[in-house]
Amino acid sequence: MSGDRLKVGAGDTAIELRDLACMAGGRTVLAVERLRIAAGERVAIVGANGAGKSTLLRLFSGFATPAAGDVQVLGRRLPLHGAELRTLRAEVGQVLQGLHLVQRLTVLDNVLIGALARRPGWRGWLRWHRGGDIAEAEAALARVGLAALADARADTLSGGERQKVAIARLLMQRPRLILADEPTAALDPRAAAEVCALLAGAARGATLVTVLHNPALLPLLADRVIAIKAGRIDFDLPVAQVEPTTLAALYRQAPETMPAAMPA
Amino acid sequence: MSLGATAPGRRHSGRLGFLAVVLAYGLLIAVAIGSLLAADELSLGRNPLANLAKTAAEFARPSFLDVWFGEPRLEYRGDDGTLLRVEDRRVVEAGFLRQLAHATWITFVIGTLGSLLGALLALPLGVLTARNLGAPRPLALAAKALLDTCRAIHTLVFGLVLVGIVGLGPTAGILAIALHSLGTYGKLYAEAIETLDMAAVDAVRAVGAGPAQVFFNAVWPAVLPQFVSHHLYVWEYNIRDSTVLGLIGAGGLGLLITEATALFQWGRLATLLIVVVLLVSAFDALSRRIRGALL
Repeated sequence: MSGDRLKVGAGDTAIELRDLACMAGGRTVLAVERLRIAAGERVAIVGANGAGKSTLLRLFSGFATPAAGDVQVLGRRLPLHGAELRTLRAEVGQVLQGLHLVQRLTVLDNVLIGALARRPGWRGWLRWHRGGDIAEAEAALARVGLAALADARADTLSGGERQKVAIARLLMQRPRLILADEPTAALDPRAAAEVCALLAGAARGATLVTVLHNPALLPLLADRVIAIKAGRIDFDLPVAQVEPTTLAALYRQAPETMPAAMPA
Repeated sequence: MSLGATAPGRRHSGRLGFLAVVLAYGLLIAVAIGSLLAADELSLGRNPLANLAKTAAEFARPSFLDVWFGEPRLEYRGDDGTLLRVEDRRVVEAGFLRQLAHATWITFVIGTLGSLLGALLALPLGVLTARNLGAPRPLALAAKALLDTCRAIHTLVFGLVLVGIVGLGPTAGILAIALHSLGTYGKLYAEAIETLDMAAVDAVRAVGAGPAQVFFNAVWPAVLPQFVSHHLYVWEYNIRDSTVLGLIGAGGLGLLITEATALFQWGRLATLLIVVVLLVSAFDALSRRIRGALL
């Protein structure tokens, strides 16, 4: 542990949940008694569709609100509002499945969106960016191998290219916590591996929480695997101890509905 | 088993329903024609063919041709043969063309300013009625009622009322166009906002951007091309609309059209209609190019 402490923020807590309950449509979709993710950890969340994985990620970025319990993200207690929520979000980078770029803006403009939180003021209204920011965005694009597409419009890109732009935006944002919700969904195996490698590189030094389905990609993005089943933590193991049979068992059973009574 | 029993029955009832609608439509048409026949109002006049030939002959010689080919010394004589007046057709028609150019400009101005005013007034109403922005319900309903009312009342009706309020002239025309197209603009805006890509909006919010930054980086780039495209479309429609507004004294081409029809000057009407067609198709060609470049 003492060796880890030399790294910036290591040993600190990135995320801490206690007695959390999330409701949707009148029923409990997520119930977590206790969960702690340390700063710098790389965690994968696995589980069947509807198990509550995405809700968990949305909770961390303030897009979902807990019905009960205590949620702390990067040392701040949720729920937050207004400027405080924006300050938190500036430190939480997101890569989501599918379309999360502004379609009509260029690739470079999309990458520059990552810097918006630290560039308040009217220049952002006109997308009149500072030369330094543009250089940084171009460097980020070069790192994901898309320097040539800087002036292309986002809606002309392929699925793999879109995810790479999202990763370049992440590099621009320089977040302490990265949330990736099925970043390889709808990508072919080669593009998926490429995006995972880039994401792992971008997340170096930050905490990374990824929702993943593909067992082959788990070791690329995670050291610890948390399984969620019907809104509860099913297992929480180091990635080396997760056997294919464990995962198969997780996905085999249909998601059960939550029991009505919750233990206090 | 039960599915097999109900499916054909349901299919059958769908066809019967369609047949009933067709029958009802046929009945409506029959009643409409019948009511005109009963009042003896379904007639084509006394000698439609001769009138058609005469009108067509005059239309075939638009008045502007007289500027070059007109009679330089057209003599008007009384019944006893005395010379009443001599006019140079070329000079008269050249004067009409100058009048026409001014009227065309006025028509363009009425359509353009009316459109802009309508587009601006409709912005808040469109935002209020867009369902995905979640405006307070009473406000949204009030805005929608206002938009529907504006769309239901014809420009000419607005014009007639406004002439009584602000007097004859282009101002009444501009306001009439603005009030009617307000309804169209508001509906188009609301639809553009409703098709907004919320994933992109959330992505910009997710980096910690403020409300103004989210608006200018995610909402504005997505809706601007649609707003401009809708504006060009309604603008073009309004230029066509403003050509008839002169009928009620708003000035422009409509005024000349009224005069020409009242005096049975079909040659002049032909000239006027040529100008209207040229004006509208030139604008259409231009706006199509701009819209094509935007999307």
